Amino acid sequence: MIARDIMQTRFHTLSPGDTIAEAVKCFRSASASETKKIFGLMVTDHSDHLVGMLSMYDILLFIQPKHIQIWGEMDDLDPSVLYDERLEQVKSILVGDIMTAEVVTITPDTHLMVIADTMIKKHIRRLPVVDDQEVVGIVYVSDVFHHLLEKFII
Amino acid sequence: MPRVKKRHVLSGIKVKEAMRRQVIKLPYSAPIDYCINRMIKYKINAVLLTDEKQRPGGIVSKTDIMSAFYAGFPTHTPVESIMVGPLLYCYPDDELETSLDIMHHNGVHRLYVLDSEANDVAGVIAYPDIVGLLYRYCRACDKGLLKNRRRQAEYEYRRLKVKDVMTASVTACHENDDLVNVIEGLTEHRCGAVLITSAGNKAVGVVSKSDLIVAYKHGLAVNVRARTVMSTPVKSCPGEAQLSDAIQQMLLRDVQRIFVHASDPANIVGVMSLSDAARFRSGSCRACTSSRLIQ
Repeated sequence: MIARDIMQTRFHTLSPGDTIAEAVKCFRSASASETKKIFGLMVTDHSDHLVGMLSMYDILLFIQPKHIQIWGEMDDLDPSVLYDERLEQVKSILVGDIMTAEVVTITPDTHLMVIADTMIKKHIRRLPVVDDQEVVGIVYVSDVFHHLLEKFII
Repeated sequence: MPRVKKRHVLSGIKVKEAMRRQVIKLPYSAPIDYCINRMIKYKINAVLLTDEKQRPGGIVSKTDIMSAFYAGFPTHTPVESIMVGPLLYCYPDDELETSLDIMHHNGVHRLYVLDSEANDVAGVIAYPDIVGLLYRYCRACDKGLLKNRRRQAEYEYRRLKVKDVMTASVTACHENDDLVNVIEGLTEHRCGAVLITSAGNKAVGVVSKSDLIVAYKHGLAVNVRARTVMSTPVKSCPGEAQLSDAIQQMLLRDVQRIFVHASDPANIVGVMSLSDAARFRSGSCRACTSSRLIQ
């Protein structure tokens, strides 16, 4: 079993020039059109080359105040007001500014066992499948999980 | 006569308990625009640079990147060409106060923490993180301003207000000034942000070093107007606000300074940075005196 057999060939991508608001919209529409929740999206340039990944975690990390540990002690604050303000503040930030550019990728011929190993060891939940610089699909940890563990289902 | 060792808030705190273990590193060859990406994503003011053998060699700060923008370096320039060194270190078992002394002595705001056994960087201790740490202590401190709030009005006169601490001179640029003026203003006054005003001296926005490096990454030229990159609205508080409330606002809004307005919010009369605020705390305990070390 290799990546080609289990990868999803329908995928959604972002562009480095998208705003964070556009990225949030894309997360919502991607999750709506797929049967599963989408937690991370590939970022591609105008020639469809993979330039990075952006996860929901990246956006959350960016929205959070840095000294968040102090916040826990401030019980008299209304977080929704603070978040509104912060969203206003990040309007100038684009996907390319916070995406992860060092992306681990696989090829369509990568073996399923190698994929599982990479995901476990590097704590990755989704791996873009790249063939000669072009993105051809994506493998989610759920795909690997269900393929490997199907026989356990009675 | 034996010396009496005084106990105070910071005594016994080691560097390893206060340091940030997440150290953002880049190789010398990384392009400036990727360095900016790391700074924005992790909200840090400086990135550690390592050579091909992963040995730390220097740092690049937001100020260095702003200078590269000013000098017209293309964003794909390797960070090595704007790197600053040598690095200043402390050790995980050092007292926190010793590290504050080193920072004060060298006029820097961060030290890398070297794990001598592994001969590797184990963390970083930055001045704003210590201010945050001190703030937590002060919330719990009996002598602190916050506890006083719950007591009777007799303590009222002791509490510092923003207007007691703020700097009344504010570096400002006009919204039609170009970024060259803004960068020159920031460099000349050694500050992190300038206020942007419109006709009639009304405050309309702020351009910080972070806004400038984002503009640089987005490919803007240094001759664009301040108006196009400024952040709005101006984060400000009235001069009558309690100092502790203002510090809280700065920590929660991720800003290193807050502007001070008169009765009309568009009329800015002063500015207060996180370190100004820390320097002017109530003062009797060691946490307060330590935090005044860096000017």
